[in-house]
Amino acid sequence: MAVRAQFENSNEVGVFARLTNSYAIVAVGASENFYSVFESELQDVIPICHATIAGTRIVGRLTVGNRKGLLVPTTTTDQELQHLRNTLPDAVKIQRIEERLSALGNVICCNDHVAIVHPDLERETEEIIADVLGVEVFRQTVADNVLTGSYMALSNQGGIVHPKTSIRDQDELSSLLQVPLVAGSINRGSPVVGAGMVVNDWLAVTGLDTTATELSVIESVFRLGEMAPGGTGQGPNKESIVESFY
Amino acid sequence: MKTTWKDIAPVPTHQEFLDIVLSRTQRQLPTQIRAGFKISRIRGFYTRKVKYTQETFGDKFQAILDGFPRLQDIHPFHKDLMNTLYDADHFRIALGQVSTAKHLIETVSRDYVRLIKYAQSLFQCKQLKRAALGRMATICRRLKDPLVYLEQVRQHLGRLPSIDPNTRTLLICGYPNVGKSSFLKNITRADVDVQPYAFTTKSLFVGHFDYKYLRFQAIDTPGILDHPLEEMNTIEMQSITAVAHLRSAILYFMDLSEQCGYSVQDQIKLYHSIKPLFANKIVYIIINKIDVRRPEDLDPEEQAQLQEILKSGDVEMLQASCTTTEGVSAVKNAACDKLLAERVSQKLKSGSNTAGTPGGRLGDVLARIHVAQPMGGVRETFIPEAVKELKKYDKNDPNRPRLERDLEEENGGAGVYSFDMQRDYTLANKDWNHDKIPEVWNGKNIYDFVDPDIEKKLAALEEEEEKLEADGYYESDESVEDAEDADTRMKADLIREKRVLMRNDAKMRKSLKNRAQIPRSAKAKKLSQLEHGLDSAGYDVDAAGDRARSQSVVRGRPLSRPDAGADDAMDLDDPKQAIARAKSRARSQAATDRRNDGVVDEMARTKADRLFKLGQKKMNRMARQGEADRHTTASLPKHLFTGKHSFSNQRR
Repeated sequence: MAVRAQFENSNEVGVFARLTNSYAIVAVGASENFYSVFESELQDVIPICHATIAGTRIVGRLTVGNRKGLLVPTTTTDQELQHLRNTLPDAVKIQRIEERLSALGNVICCNDHVAIVHPDLERETEEIIADVLGVEVFRQTVADNVLTGSYMALSNQGGIVHPKTSIRDQDELSSLLQVPLVAGSINRGSPVVGAGMVVNDWLAVTGLDTTATELSVIESVFRLGEMAPGGTGQGPNKESIVESFY
Repeated sequence: MKTTWKDIAPVPTHQEFLDIVLSRTQRQLPTQIRAGFKISRIRGFYTRKVKYTQETFGDKFQAILDGFPRLQDIHPFHKDLMNTLYDADHFRIALGQVSTAKHLIETVSRDYVRLIKYAQSLFQCKQLKRAALGRMATICRRLKDPLVYLEQVRQHLGRLPSIDPNTRTLLICGYPNVGKSSFLKNITRADVDVQPYAFTTKSLFVGHFDYKYLRFQAIDTPGILDHPLEEMNTIEMQSITAVAHLRSAILYFMDLSEQCGYSVQDQIKLYHSIKPLFANKIVYIIINKIDVRRPEDLDPEEQAQLQEILKSGDVEMLQASCTTTEGVSAVKNAACDKLLAERVSQKLKSGSNTAGTPGGRLGDVLARIHVAQPMGGVRETFIPEAVKELKKYDKNDPNRPRLERDLEEENGGAGVYSFDMQRDYTLANKDWNHDKIPEVWNGKNIYDFVDPDIEKKLAALEEEEEKLEADGYYESDESVEDAEDADTRMKADLIREKRVLMRNDAKMRKSLKNRAQIPRSAKAKKLSQLEHGLDSAGYDVDAAGDRARSQSVVRGRPLSRPDAGADDAMDLDDPKQAIARAKSRARSQAATDRRNDGVVDEMARTKADRLFKLGQKKMNRMARQGEADRHTTASLPKHLFTGKHSFSNQRR
């Protein structure tokens, strides 16, 4: 299931929300419309938390998390941390990290098994990621961008990377992550796929500007809905695409 | 690349041409000239006429030359097609003649302008102009045939179908009447004429269809007869042109039933004779009309000949029937697939570098449609069971789950409603959800003191407390104050109250409340107030009261007798009285000098002057007309003296 939403006229859904398999965090906005999109799609399956991080609304960019844990930056206040702790299930470990690169959502991209992180992240942080989130950590870039979290959207079933990622890089990342990957865009051609959408194993929320084509790529690569896996640009379509675009 | 020429402007006949140019000269230039004018002006007038005519001719000819396609600039297919249809030589000559005419007219104009320079009179000038325009007209008249021809070409060109020689093309060819047009009609929406006689189709027809999200064009060609190229007529040559130049999949249609009037052998022979044109192209033999006769029904000899064609390997045979539409789409799909595969493989080859990896734009395109599949197994997913039973949220369902948005709507909408942040806390006890926790207590951050053992420590403290309580620690009552303390406290309270009252009083007194500020000395004060004040301050009241009474001026009749006879006494020069009198006299000048009162010194004076001028500045600048200004009213106000007269015959 992939739905389109908008946070106060912004399409960058991944900036204002964080979605995992066991919880969702949504920024506090002027109205409840954005929150209710998550509420209607998730209903009571996983808890949804209204939160701020360091008083800001960019919770999706500042935090990173998966089924097992949540990492928040050092700027998070005690009250915010307490609020998160009170709202999220006890099984989810929450950890505040002292890290110079405090926008954790931008520098870390993870699912429940692997994390791809910014090459300049500190060693301690890397260890904390491995412990709290229970993942293997790899230092990598996506299409020569160090901000892996911004340029990659990842779930346990698939991933989307920056549209200009070369085939070789895609194959390399895919073998590292052990999930199918495609290069794609979001929100009518935006390359920041990580910031433009949030995704878990059964739901993706994208910006309102996302085209039907982009959405169908997302649905097929993340195996949302009843689609066959990896149906993008494969088989009969490839010839047509090469013929009409080159 | 241009594939149609629908926008060529119409070419006028030579007569219309002349009319256009000459009337334009007439309309656009001055027409009045007189013998009395200076000769230079007369010469200029006629020079301009000649030149303008020449320019108009030149523009018009150039427009024709530019409008028609140049054969060397267009695709070879279009070039050959035009050659077939209009005869390239003829076309070139016609355009050449137009171009020559343009040059000739320029020469004529130049010559006559030169002659007009030396003309001596109006008459001479005029005759020279006439001669020049006459010669131009003659040149134009000689273009009669080329112009007619070009107009015909223009009309025909505009009606040619738009054939893109580079796109995906299926080309349908074969003997006349074998079912080419009905095939086109079947696969596209082109409305071609299908008739049961040969050469129904006399020119190329184009239809479009979509296959695999791509637009294909199918071209129906006129039938070809099997004879040498030189003997072919225009209609057949169009087919040959298309076959020769278009990068396409060729569908060679055959009719085994021989309903078309040509034997199977003839058709096979034609195939062999035009085979050289099929080089480097995808070729299909389409057996049409299989509802009448199938290739299996052929006699062995023809069968062998047919197999001969297919033997080379790069030709395939397909079967279809346009009347029953059997196999039509199969033919179309097979041809399209092969064509597409061929084109894509060529593109991949041209877009790849020497190492065989696609680069540049092709690389980008391929990278975007590539799905990188991991080598090993798939990752485990964690989708809760509840997701599968999740009912899709429906906005119009009355039993839908209530969302935060619904709550917001009910409680005043966005900006008014404030959501309950603590509602969904998962604490051990639901009642704790809304407990207040201070952030800072006694200047210390509460959260710095949170520790994992807090529950244990609290329990210990509570136990101690209970123990103390049980011991009767809190029961001893030590709150007895002694009387002295109570007295001091009472006095202190009194003092405080008094101070507050005084402060309030002073505030009340000092606030002006829109009254004038009067100096205290000028204020009348009652004696009782004075006495009360002194009394409360602890002074002796009587002495002060007596003095005040003795000083006060008594109003009304004085109680003591005045000096007797003072009025009657002789006037003496009492200086005191003189001053008093002088003061009491009415004065002509103001009692005070308002200009200089309060002005301390020269500097203050100049400052006051400056401020005065500043105050006047705005008034001076606006310079409004006021009622003091002199004003003369209109002697005959128009509104009173125009319009209807009730009294005269000048009623309008």
